[in-house]
This record gives sequence, C-alpha cells and structure tokens, in this order.
Amino acid sequence: MTDTPLLGVRGLTVEAGRAEAAPRILDDVSFSLQAKRILGVIGPGGSGKTTLAHALVNWLRPPLEVTSGEIRFRGEDILAMPSDRAARLRGKTIAYVGGDPQGAMNPTMHVGEQIIEKLRAVEPGVSYKEARERAVALLGAVHIPSPEQRFGEYPFQYSGGMMQRAMIVDALIANPELLIADSITQPLDVTVGAQILKLMRELSERFDTAILFISASLPTVADVADEVLVLEGGRVAECAPVDDVISRPRHAATRKLINELPKLWHRDGTTPVAATDKAQTVLSVQNVSRVYPIKNKSGLGKPKLLQAVRDVSFDIHAGENFGVVGESGCGKSTLMRLLTALEKPDTGHIVFDGEDVFGRGRAGTRRFRREVQLVLQDPFGSLPPQSSIGEIISEPLVIHGEGDRRRRRARALDMMGEVGLDKSLYESLPTRLTAGQRQRVNVARAMILEPRLMIMDETLSALDQTEQSRLIDLFERLQAQHGFTYLFISHDIALVRRVCARIAVMYLGEVVELAANERLFFDPGHPYSKALLSAAPTLEDRRYRPEDCLLEGEPPSPIDLPPGCAFASRCPSAHDRCREVNPPPVYRGEHDRAACHLLQPEPVAS
Amino acid sequence: MFLLGFLTRRLAQGVVIVLLVTFLIFTLLRVIPGDPVRLMVGGMAPDTLVEEIAEEMGLRDPIPVQFARYLSGVVQGDLGQSFVRPASGAAVGGAAFDDATRGERAQVLTLITETAPYTIQLALLAMALALVVAVPIGVFAGLSPGRWPDRMALYLGSVFVSVPNFWLGIVLALVFSVQLGWLPAIGYENFAYTILPAIVLAVEIAPFIIRTLSVSVAQVMRESYIAAAAVRGLGQTRIIMAHALKNASVPLLNLLGVQFSLLLGGVLVVEFIFDYPGLGLLTINAVLQRDFPLIQGIAIVTSVAFVMINIFVDLLATMIDPRLEY
Ligand SMILES: Nc1ncnc2c1ncn2[C@@H]1O[C@H](COP(=O)(O)OP(=O)(O)OP(=O)(O)O)[C@@H](O)[C@H]1O
Ligand code: SF4
Ligand SMILES: [Mg+2]
Repeated sequence: MTDTPLLGVRGLTVEAGRAEAAPRILDDVSFSLQAKRILGVIGPGGSGKTTLAHALVNWLRPPLEVTSGEIRFRGEDILAMPSDRAARLRGKTIAYVGGDPQGAMNPTMHVGEQIIEKLRAVEPGVSYKEARERAVALLGAVHIPSPEQRFGEYPFQYSGGMMQRAMIVDALIANPELLIADSITQPLDVTVGAQILKLMRELSERFDTAILFISASLPTVADVADEVLVLEGGRVAECAPVDDVISRPRHAATRKLINELPKLWHRDGTTPVAATDKAQTVLSVQNVSRVYPIKNKSGLGKPKLLQAVRDVSFDIHAGENFGVVGESGCGKSTLMRLLTALEKPDTGHIVFDGEDVFGRGRAGTRRFRREVQLVLQDPFGSLPPQSSIGEIISEPLVIHGEGDRRRRRARALDMMGEVGLDKSLYESLPTRLTAGQRQRVNVARAMILEPRLMIMDETLSALDQTEQSRLIDLFERLQAQHGFTYLFISHDIALVRRVCARIAVMYLGEVVELAANERLFFDPGHPYSKALLSAAPTLEDRRYRPEDCLLEGEPPSPIDLPPGCAFASRCPSAHDRCREVNPPPVYRGEHDRAACHLLQPEPVAS
Repeated sequence: MFLLGFLTRRLAQGVVIVLLVTFLIFTLLRVIPGDPVRLMVGGMAPDTLVEEIAEEMGLRDPIPVQFARYLSGVVQGDLGQSFVRPASGAAVGGAAFDDATRGERAQVLTLITETAPYTIQLALLAMALALVVAVPIGVFAGLSPGRWPDRMALYLGSVFVSVPNFWLGIVLALVFSVQLGWLPAIGYENFAYTILPAIVLAVEIAPFIIRTLSVSVAQVMRESYIAAAAVRGLGQTRIIMAHALKNASVPLLNLLGVQFSLLLGGVLVVEFIFDYPGLGLLTINAVLQRDFPLIQGIAIVTSVAFVMINIFVDLLATMIDPRLEY
C-alpha cells in the first residue's frame, strides 16, 4: 500500500483529434507524486502544462483527447473508471486552481455563497451553518482581511490577489488529497504572487495536501516544490529534486530555461547607462496629475476622486531608455495616456521637444503624433483581423497622407525586413501569426513613421522568455540604427533591469523613486523598491530577503487616499510621521531621488 | 441607500418624460386640422354655436394657457371629461347639439380605470402564454447552439414572426369560434373572451423571447465560470439552473419590460379585430371621435405605466446582477 503513489501517470498521450496526423500535445508523459509532496511542473509556453493539468481533472475539451496512457489515483485508473465515480473525485478529492481567478466564479453571486455551494455539492452531508463556518475560517487562514464581511461580497469587489486566495479556499475546503495549481501566480503582481507562494507552502503542510504546481517560471517553482518535472514539446525532459535540476540540469531544455532567466544582480558591464548631461531632453514631464471623479453609486452626493497619477515629474533624454515600473493599478496606463496626449493632465505640463504637448497648433500636434509612437501589450487584440499584414504596417503612412501606393509598399517591406518578418507575409492575414510575430508587426507599424520616442506599454509582457530576448535584441539594433528613444512601461522588474538606463518606480500614482539602473538595483532608497526587488522571481541569491522586505496585503484603493505616505499601510518601516506627512522627494546625488522620511539627502559629488 | 438614490433619480427622470409626452400630445392635438366641437355638435349646427361652445370650453385660449389649466387638473387627479362620451355608456350621437347631456359627460379617469383591467388581463395572459412556450424552447436552443433544438427554435421563430396578426386573429376566430365553437371571439363577457386575442399576441411576442433567451443562454454557457464550476465539483443540473439561467435572465427581463409596456400601450389591431373592450379599442374610438381629453388621458396613463415598468425592470436586473449598479 505504501508503495502506490497518490498519483501515478504512465505513458499519458493527448492528441488533438483522432486523425493520423493529429498533433500530439502530450507525448508519453509519466511521473508519480507521493502524498503530501509538492511536484513542480515547468516548461516554456505551449509545452503542454495546461493540457496536462486539464487531463488530470478530466477537463480536456474537444478536439483534445487522451489517446493512450493511464492516470492512476491511489492505484485506480481514473480514465477507466465509470464516469460518475470520476465525477465524484472532481472538486472533492482532486481539486484544481487555475490562472484566471476573476473568471472562475459566477459574477452575480457572493463569493462565500459559491464556496458553500461547492462544499455542499461535494459533501452533501454538511449543513449550511457548518459550511459557512468552515468557509469563513479558511478565508481567514489565507489572510483575507475581515473574512466575515468579504464572505458576502461579489467577485468583482475582490482584487485579483484576493480572488486567487478565495479560489484556493474553494479548492481546499473539501480537504482534497491532491491540488492541481496551474499558473496561479501568473496574473498577479509580484509582491502578491510572492504572498500566494508562501501561502501554498503553509497550506500544504497544514492540510497534508499533495500539490502539482505548474508554472512557466523556474524560480517560482523552485520556491515551493520538492521535485521538478520539466516539460518540453509535450515530453518529459527530466524529473528530479529541485536542487539537482538547478545545479546539475541534465537536459538541454532545462539548461535553456535556466540560461534565459534574467539576472538581476549580475554585473557584466552590460547595464544600460544614463545619457550624459549634455544630451537633449526629448520628453519632460512636469508635476503632472490626473484625477478621475468616480460617480457615487446612488447618483447622489458629490463624486469621490480617484487620483490615478499624482504629481509625477521626470525627464527623458535622447537616446536613453527610460523605464516606469510598478504593480497593477499604480497609474502606469493613465500615465501612458497622458504622455501620448490621449488625455489631458489636470495639472502640470508635458513638454516634447521643447514645446508643450497641449499648447501646440494643429501642425505641432500632427508632428507630435508622428514623432511619438505607442506599442501596446496585447498582441492578439490589437491587430484588425481582416487587413493584410502589409496594409496594417503601411496604414500610418496612409493616415498621414504619405507617398503613393508603390512607395508605401516598398517602405512597409523595408520595415518587415528590419523587424525580422518574412516578406512573403505581406499579403497574409495576421490571424496565423504567433504572439512574437504579431508584436513585430506592431513594432514595424510604429516605426514606419520614423518616430523619435517609442512608448512600449507592457509590449513584451505576453511573450515568453525566448521571444522577449529576441525582441529586446531587435529594439537595441533598431535604436543603434535609427536613434530612437524608448520609454518602457512595465510591471516586470527584470525587464527594466536589462534594458533601461534610468527607472522610475511608481506606487499609487506617485513616482516614489527615480534612479539610475545600478543604483536602484544595488542601493534602492525606497522601501517599496526593496519589496519589489525581494519579490522578483530569480534563482540568484537575493540581495533583499523577502523575510525583511516582503509586503503584506495589497495596495489600498486610490480613491480618497489618506494623508501621509501612500505606502504607509504596507511599509515595514512605517512610523507615526509617515501617516501624517507625505514625504517629499529626497535627492540622493544629482539625479536620483526617492520619497521616504527615512532618507537623508546626499550631497552632489563634485 | 442605493435604493433611495436610484428611485429618486429614476422617478425624477420619469416625471420629466411624462411631462414631455403630455405636452407633445397636447400641442399636436391642437394643431392638427379638424375641430372637435364641430364633431360634437354635428354638421348641422350653426357656426356661431360652435364658436360659443368652443369659447365656453376654453378651446380658443392660447395653447400654453390651455396646457397649464389641464396640468393643474392632472396633478389633482382630474384628467378632465370626455368630449363625446356620456357618463352612462355609448358615445353621443353627432346630431344632439341641444347640449342637454353636457353635465353628464364621462370622466376620462373613470373611462380609463374601467377599461385598463381588461387590457392588463389580456397583456398578462398573452405574456404568460408566450413565456410558457418560449422559455423552454429558448433555453433548450441556447444549451445546444448550432444543433437541432437551436435550428428548430430559429425556424419556429421565423414562422411566428412572419404571421400577420390580423390574419392570425381572423383565422383563429373562424376556426375556434365559428367552426368549432370552443371559444368566444367578439366582445367581452367573461374570461374566455380573453383567450383568443391573447394567443394572437403571444405568437407575436414569443419569437423575441426565444431569440433573446437562446442567445443569452448560449453566451453564458461559454463563460469560463460555467466550465470552471464542473471542475469545482458542481453537478450539471445545478450549474444550469442556479448559475446559467439566472445570469441569462437579465436580457430577457429587459425584453419583457419593453414588450409589456407595448402591450399596455396599444394592442390596437388585436383589440379592434376581436372588439375587445380594452385601452386599444378606447384609443381607436377616441382618435376617430377627436376626443382630445381621452386621448391625452390615455397617453399620460400609458407613459406613466411605461416609466414604472422600466424602473421596476432595472431594479430587478440590478438585484440579479449587482454589477449593473453604476
Ligand atoms: N484545442 C486545441 N487544439 C489544438 N491544439 C491545442 C489545443 N489546445 C492547446 N493546443 C496546443 O497544445 C500545446 C500545449 O498547450 P498548453 O496550453 O497545454 O501549453 P502550456 O504549457 O500551458 O502553455 P502556457 O505556458 O502558455 O500556459 C500548444 O501548442 C497549443 O497550441
Ligand atoms: S515614508 Fe514612511 S511609510 Fe513611507 S516609505 Fe518611508 S518609511 Fe515607509
Ligand atoms: Mg498554460
């Protein structure tokens, strides 16, 4: 009995349809998981991780189906079981949490009621009262603040991180023996994701649940798992204890995953450096704020104010990469809309090339619209599916009334060459492109007008590491050739470490720290910057230990902010003064500054 | 708190809408050609008498003055008196210009409150019949998009939509009333008289319900929380009954609100064919007789009903889907 593993998978093969040439999504996958252990599964995007998770909970949707192999749970093959028995395992003995917590519950029912509903569906004997007690207790156990009150709220009133905790409660409430967690930290901010990881470790010990922990990020998996299984193209590349996989990777796929990991504290002289003082200022942001009135629910009374961007200032110099980092809701996208003149700031000025963006005449505005281009995140939503790739790339020329048809075509083909798109794609539709190719189309389209400033709003976020690296190389080459200046807006601290010379860290609409790359990573001034660094997934020895810097909770609502430092509610070093006075920026040297009461100004080195 | 704010705002909007409708109808009635006094007193009456009666009724005052006078009555619950109908019953004949019956002309409010129950009864029955037939078909179609129940619902809907209501009314009356003698068709004596017109109306409404439901059910079934519910361990019946149908009902609710308002406001053709003594028939006669106060009264009452139904539907919708509370 002790020899039978909790979960034993043998030769599992999943194909998309029964046809001879049907693609194999999973190919002869075998592994076993002992009770109370955590097995991590990693692999690049598309390697079949989600398919594996779905196969285990019997959730494959046509055309996908298991064509051979067995999934033994406590020695019994789930695939061969009568379907009603298999259905009874689902949710009760084998639970699942996915990477889309917001979409996982009915938006029109209270979160708590749905947890109760689930518990009573899989354990019909439980009374409503008992179910409620268990749910509230567990919500508290996963650190949801005031669980009694949260119990009666709707999913849309939860933040992403809280919803993910609620889904974990939902999965664990029936005391399952096996929990399958697929990419559960992926949609979350790093500081919140780090809290969820900590929670997984605690819960597996407390409830003796075995966990199959799936993630695309090796550092994340290494944090929680005992053993790691590496998937590559639907096959098991290797399966070994975590430390072995990291220190002695045996398979090329594993080595590739490790090598591609961004290095945060590795000094190899490739850190982008700031432009010299003489460099021209391309874009100057001066005390910019943006406030949105939020209509009161009843429509009566005076509207509340949501302060999306608060008193933000920085300069971007020609030829220099500037980065803006921060977690969701910190005001990055509002800032992007202000910088591209899609919206007007309520106070302050945005000066491009020596001229106020909103004080220009028609011709000036037109020039601004050419010289500043935006590339957005979502490679799937942003391309019109009916136009050919050539049309999409040359459209800006049409809008700005440039060249004739033949010349536009030639320009578009040039651009495709520059961004590494095959010219034969000119007539095809974008539907067949991969995420990376689509993003290249977007870049080519932005470049065709020869802009001076390119704003990249989460441009690389949806791509995997390999594709990210390729595009970063491409950006560098294009910059060398055309002299662009880039502004990267991202939540990804490793990305800005790699490409940006100067970095602004945003929290709740404010720039809390602005520093050169090296300084920010080796000597951050603001406690929030330290927290971000401590939460970043990496295999390196951390300079900032999560135990010292990791945050509890989530950013407060930007509506009706309390006085004082906005970070005070989560700051490990907060003191009384922080709750009364908002700290002014303290200069650390000539250019670097951070807003925290704990800092002393540093004299400018002469 | 939300409820109070919501009701205050919506009722205020409603008052504005009703006022606008009233003013519009009031002005229109007074600028279109055709003198109601001439109709009242008959073609034979001398012009001087027509003028005299018109003066006396205040019909020669400027329109704003007339409107103000009318409104002050309306806010006190007085919708005025019918021009042509005596309190006792049938419309007054055109030749009776001796004016003996003036004092006994019917109150508009009374006329409407006596008629409205018939129409409400007809509307409710039509709605119930339509729902009984359309809801199962629509849900079934929505649960199997693209397969036979969906296609069948589509065909049935197209057939229902393309049947003209006057034709259906006449055919039903001929078959069930004249030939089989199962149901009465013309006039009203008891509840049975409501059935045939209600069937005609139900056939008119059902395709909209089927379409709305099948689309919204199919859409909800594609939501990720429905798929996730099965993995969480909920049974299929529970998923459909407690989650899918509830969320799919919001568009249906809006549709029912609009349809019910339309039914109250004017099932003109159907009431006319079956000589059904509801608001529709009352409206037709009022228009034919240029009975201004009655037309106005009906307009006000139906627009008030419209506003109330709308508020009620939106309130119900926010109770089902709290995200609609904006
Ligand atoms: N319904 C389907 N029909 C055909 N191919 C599919 C289907 N679903 C997934 N695939 C393919 O199966 C492969 C594995 O997909 P899967 O979603 O399991 O990858 P993953 O490892 O979870 O990726 P990610 O890291 O992006 O989440 C991919 O190549 C994908 O295109
Ligand atoms: S001012 Fe206070 S609360 Fe704000 S970051 Fe500094 S120590 Fe923390
Ligand atoms: Mg996946």
